[in-house]
Amino acid sequence: MICQNCNKNEANMHMKRIINGRAGEVHLCSDCARSLGYGEAFSGFGLGLGDFFGELLSKESKSNTGLVCPGCGKTFDEVLSDGKMGCAECYGVYYDKLLPSLRRIHGKSTYVGSRPVSHQESDVSEALNQLKSKLAVAIEAQNFELAAQLRDEINNILSKRGDN
Amino acid sequence: MSAKWYLGTGAQNDVVINTSVHLARNIREFPFPARLTLPEKLNVNSVIKNASDSIGDYSFNYYEMKTLSQAEVVSLAERHLVSPEFASSRDGRALLLTEDEAVSIMLNEEDHIRCQVMYAGFALDEAYRTASNIDRKLSQKLEFAFDDKLGYLTQDPTALGTGMKASVVLHLPALVTTSQITKLITTVSKLGLSLRGSYGEGAAAKGDMFRLSNTITLGISEKAAIENLKSIALQIAAQERAAREEIFKAPVTEDRIFRAYGVLKYARLLDTNEFMDLISLVRLGAVKGLIKMECAQIEALMIHMQPATISLSVDRPLDRAERDKLRAMLVRKALI
Repeated sequence: MICQNCNKNEANMHMKRIINGRAGEVHLCSDCARSLGYGEAFSGFGLGLGDFFGELLSKESKSNTGLVCPGCGKTFDEVLSDGKMGCAECYGVYYDKLLPSLRRIHGKSTYVGSRPVSHQESDVSEALNQLKSKLAVAIEAQNFELAAQLRDEINNILSKRGDN
Repeated sequence: MSAKWYLGTGAQNDVVINTSVHLARNIREFPFPARLTLPEKLNVNSVIKNASDSIGDYSFNYYEMKTLSQAEVVSLAERHLVSPEFASSRDGRALLLTEDEAVSIMLNEEDHIRCQVMYAGFALDEAYRTASNIDRKLSQKLEFAFDDKLGYLTQDPTALGTGMKASVVLHLPALVTTSQITKLITTVSKLGLSLRGSYGEGAAAKGDMFRLSNTITLGISEKAAIENLKSIALQIAAQERAAREEIFKAPVTEDRIFRAYGVLKYARLLDTNEFMDLISLVRLGAVKGLIKMECAQIEALMIHMQPATISLSVDRPLDRAERDKLRAMLVRKALI
């Protein structure tokens, strides 16, 4: 598709906008988008964007302000205004309000990745979890021979852990 | 002074300048930096400093930012050892830095701990391994703010999760010359990555240096984020090489390179922007074998010729004209 403004370059910015209830589409190349001021709307994504985040949040949850974090005393209104959390406890207090915005920014909102030493599961329980998920797959596939074998392995680990 | 990381020669160094991995961490018991008073910040600094003594493999020099001059702090930012944000305010902030400058840990920037590992060339796995090793050792001493569902908790909620930002700095003169860079920036942003000027911002990046980084930190593991970054970086590097093949077909490219070399070799005044534009061309020529200069020497020159860093070499504040004169003199010497 060709840019609607310069009619020369390939359009690589596509926008839908609704003005006074009427929907319209805009297709621009990135140079024209920037010169027409559309670039600004997209420059904010990524890390370190307090203002942007505060703005996102405020749309969600203007309704229920007055919350205060018992850990650091930061109010939800303050979080909205500077887009920063006050302490680790804030996340517990404001979790429900944050979740939709986190989903919008990161796509998924369930953590996967490394863990600090204090939160690490032991190797044994990790092995156990792996065996359990393999067992579930085996049962699903009606591979009962494998399932029986996996069940024995799990029982084996469980009884060993019991001995300790 | 021991050898700095950037004096080494890294993998893929025709296109990839360096690799860095940052990890953001906070200590559970303290509020995030923006909620700390000055004495509380100093306390957090000393807690982290004590914990860093246990990182056996690395020995750190500890600097309270307050004790450094403005030029020294800005020079740290020019060398990408601290963020510009960190350099902008010195109160209550501190830095742990290894002698080779490969590992730098900013204390009380956006988060209590911002650990950065930087290596020459393309070395994402190695940089992550080192960062993760340091992180593990610190987490044996410090209780980090961590949540099973959200991961590492950060002051800015857009950085939480792995708290990891991995980057490679790419030299992309041919993609800039062939006007492919703007399109590339848009494409890359759809893949959860960002591509922006490493010196200066946006498409007008100085010296054709661009930083490619991951932006998504939640719902993707460190390993997956690094694999993703690695594969996109290699694709961009391949595109750059193809574009270089193309531009070298026109004699004007070689002409531009030797003219740039000529100006750098004989100029009496050089400002930062002009220097960066010209050295970018010289680097392109060096990689192609037209100019006899090592890439590592060019990288070191780029770092040393930045405004605050150049002022440090003479131990007194320089005004702009003095700097431009000194820069031209030092570049002339380096190019013989």
